[in-house]
Amino acid sequence: MKTRWIILFFPLVSVIVLSLAVMRHAANAGSPSGVPAAVAAQAAPAAATSSRAGALTIPDTTLAVNSDKPMSERVVHYEIDARYDAAKHVVDATEVLTYHNLTGQALDHFPFHLYQNAFQPNSTFVREVKVDDAGYDNWEAKAYGSEEIKSLELVGQGDLTAQLRYTAPDDGNKDDKTVVDLRVPKPIAPGEYVQFKIAFQTNFPETQARSGWKRDFVLGGQWFPKVGVWWHGAWNCHQYHAFTEFFADFGVYDVKLTVPQYEVVGASGVKVGEVSNPDSTKTLSYHGDDIHDFAWTASPRYKLKDDGVFQGQMGPVKMQILMQPAHWSQVERHEKILRESLDHFERWYGPYPYKTITLVDPEPDSEAGGMEYPTFITGETSWFMPKGQLWPEVVVEHEFGHQYWYGMVATNEFEDAWMDEGINSYTEVKVLDSIFGPDTSFSAIAGATRSEREYQRLSYIRAADLDPIAQKAYDYYNYRSYGGITYGKTASVLLTLEGIIGADTMRKAMRVYFMKYRFTHPTKEDFLKTIEEVSGRDLRWYVNQAIYGSQVMDYQVLKIDSFPVNWYEDKQGSGKDDDKDTIYRSYVSLQRKEDFVMPVEVEIKFENGETLREHWDGVNRWTRLGPYDKKTKIASAEIDPDHKVQIDRNDFNNSYTAEANVKPARKVSNYWLFATQWMSQALAWWGV
Amino acid sequence: MSENKGLLSGGWGMVRRNKRYIFWFYVLNLLLGLFGTVAFFEHAGAILDHSLHADLLLHGFSRDVLDEMLMRPEFGSTSVPRTSAVCFALLFFLVTALFLPGVLQGYASTYRLQREDFFRVCGRNLWQFVRLIIVAGIVMGSVAGTLFGLHGALERKAAESTNELLLPEVQLAGLVVIFLVMAALRIWFDLAQTDIVLSDQRAVRKSIGAALLQMWRHLGRLLASYVVTTIVAAIVLLAGLWVWMKFVRPDNVLGAFVVGQFTLLLLLIPRFWQRGVAVTYYLQNMVEPIAVMESFASVATHEDHIEMGDAHQD
Repeated sequence: MKTRWIILFFPLVSVIVLSLAVMRHAANAGSPSGVPAAVAAQAAPAAATSSRAGALTIPDTTLAVNSDKPMSERVVHYEIDARYDAAKHVVDATEVLTYHNLTGQALDHFPFHLYQNAFQPNSTFVREVKVDDAGYDNWEAKAYGSEEIKSLELVGQGDLTAQLRYTAPDDGNKDDKTVVDLRVPKPIAPGEYVQFKIAFQTNFPETQARSGWKRDFVLGGQWFPKVGVWWHGAWNCHQYHAFTEFFADFGVYDVKLTVPQYEVVGASGVKVGEVSNPDSTKTLSYHGDDIHDFAWTASPRYKLKDDGVFQGQMGPVKMQILMQPAHWSQVERHEKILRESLDHFERWYGPYPYKTITLVDPEPDSEAGGMEYPTFITGETSWFMPKGQLWPEVVVEHEFGHQYWYGMVATNEFEDAWMDEGINSYTEVKVLDSIFGPDTSFSAIAGATRSEREYQRLSYIRAADLDPIAQKAYDYYNYRSYGGITYGKTASVLLTLEGIIGADTMRKAMRVYFMKYRFTHPTKEDFLKTIEEVSGRDLRWYVNQAIYGSQVMDYQVLKIDSFPVNWYEDKQGSGKDDDKDTIYRSYVSLQRKEDFVMPVEVEIKFENGETLREHWDGVNRWTRLGPYDKKTKIASAEIDPDHKVQIDRNDFNNSYTAEANVKPARKVSNYWLFATQWMSQALAWWGV
Repeated sequence: MSENKGLLSGGWGMVRRNKRYIFWFYVLNLLLGLFGTVAFFEHAGAILDHSLHADLLLHGFSRDVLDEMLMRPEFGSTSVPRTSAVCFALLFFLVTALFLPGVLQGYASTYRLQREDFFRVCGRNLWQFVRLIIVAGIVMGSVAGTLFGLHGALERKAAESTNELLLPEVQLAGLVVIFLVMAALRIWFDLAQTDIVLSDQRAVRKSIGAALLQMWRHLGRLLASYVVTTIVAAIVLLAGLWVWMKFVRPDNVLGAFVVGQFTLLLLLIPRFWQRGVAVTYYLQNMVEPIAVMESFASVATHEDHIEMGDAHQD
């Protein structure tokens, strides 16, 4: 055959071959054929049960923590027996919930979260996402999720399924089914235990909000009926919103998961048993102590690394990492950052008490990456990830940080999202700066660097003036504002606070806060007062603007002036500019352009190298520093020369140099020039 | 292979003999690029020139500072410098189309083409080139659209696979196929352009037909030559960027400019080399039979001689 015929058929054959290859692989997606390495059954201590004959109680087990006594005030004990149908993405389960009434008053109703009902077209979650224009262009069946209570029995009061009523405490949306309320015939007395026996079915959507399935992978998050939290004299059980996360009480979890034999499974807590069943399934048992949620994942293709152990302050911590096969070359990166995060948090803030930490590398292209559950986190990476691109490290560190700020210091994520996401973003900056260096803690590729603290600040200044930090998560204007303020602004505000009270004091305050409030549900004032107490300073002037207010900061050097004192004399005489004995009178004008008032330092540099520092209280909209009568002119003036302020929305106008330096503009313009010329050549190459 | 070598070496010889064309196209490219960069430079300067914060861009390259600069309202919409850059890129495209006939004529000439001849050829073939570019645009656009559509469909299908690497593999393989097909089309229209200029062909459709036939007859040789030159271009680009990153200090703006411009100058060579290949191919395979020309010439010379002889006799 002649060459030209070969060349003619090459694209055709290529397309056919590629198509066949793609079809073949795609066909495999729905029916997993990979068989994982057998997981040796672990000797399983029998899980304690709440339903001992005649006396309800919450177990005081410490199987999953390095402690000989419970670390939290245990309010709940969930015993769940679940069977996962991998083909239908459905869980059928029974749940025995033992609840200890520590509210100090009789309870006549109990609200439950049914989070998976958020993924329905008329739910509050979907409505809010639509308003924000962040998805759901078309409603697809695979986006549908549901969580249905088939039956509910209150031990001693009979079957109360008919008493269940959907309620929408936040927005009154009658179509929202993410909260269901149960009114009990006989109120539960203070101090009394009560037990619910629930049969439920959860239908996962294709991954949304970091829960659900993708291809043959599943992440079981927020998947079972979960009782609300009695907090500040009332039930706190919010609907599932587009931007909100979760809130729950501490307790004990005993969960049995029955999945197909081929699945590799990871979950919260410690695995205490594995049994093979005759129907090609297996049942895995997990136990968790002093945790407030339980998540699990399954995929036939995970590669497991579970030989890592971190020697923590309270005992060994087993590190389990479930990686996607195509990411296996990155497993050491994941283990390293997990280990270093553990190390930093233990040294800086307090001990990690759990016996395990499970890191999951979720299915590519799923929306399951970057999520935290107690002792269980998901990372995020892809098959191509240069070493200088630190996104996997950033995500793993961030999600691990949530073990402290959410996992143990269990703040209300609906109402105070900044207390988990924001404080965690602050510690993320600190830890990553420490590990990778402050200028390269986000990425360092081909000489271009990004820092974690600037990443946080830039996300803040993109949405600086819409919402305050102290606001319910579902009241934010849009997702950009929620993300920018909750994560970015909080991190920037705390970094600035660190500049005010000092890095050592701030770290001490964070440690005190963690140790004092771990295994509780602290409020924003608990956090702020701790910092004030540790620093010994009244910080209300700052907190009221930065946390409670939406004030924005923008200080600028408005102008610098230097002119001869005797400017009015004959230029031929001693007053001329180039006379070394000429005395110059100099001024620096500063402006506060926005409404955030904060005292700042100003550094003035003179042409002879002399430097002086001034202080401006920032109360007035502008000030003029000077006059400075010297035999030299001002070279530059800079507000906040030590870069302690991280919340100024414009760092460029914080300084002003008398002489223009065009090199930076030339440098970036040279990149632009190169790109323009190259684009021109490429266009001409193919077009003419 | 030796035939390929012939095309490549023949084309390379033309490029070497006519280096001035590359130089002038580079000057045009640079000038238009500079015009396209003025808006960006002005906007950047307004923010950076008097700020100490800009030092983070100069001594190193802080992406954060760059992003913050682009976010500033006083920088304005990035669409302004982007639009001007695109406009000047289009201008370079048109200028290339305008002056290309002169280049092809120069490559085919065994002597240095005079300036007036160069521009005369450019002017004479302008309308033919415009028509040819329109036809090429329609053909290449349709084929590219179809191939990329197919590519997208394959990507979507590959994305369903549990094998994560299938998607990038399909993407890469698809792009290679698209490149080869588009390169073949490029050869076709390069030959058509050459035919228009060197045959002084006024009927564009005839050149397109002849070029299609020739492209089809010797596709292997031509495609191999074009692939080789494209690989050379890719190596030049990567090497230039490597030198830029490896050996130029972050604050050495002049050094970066020189390395960048030298890379862009070198990048022009492979495309001119492809033109040389097309002209070489034309001279080898598409030119009108020389024997006929010679017989005309010999007849003419003979007749002239007779006439001159007659005259002499007279």
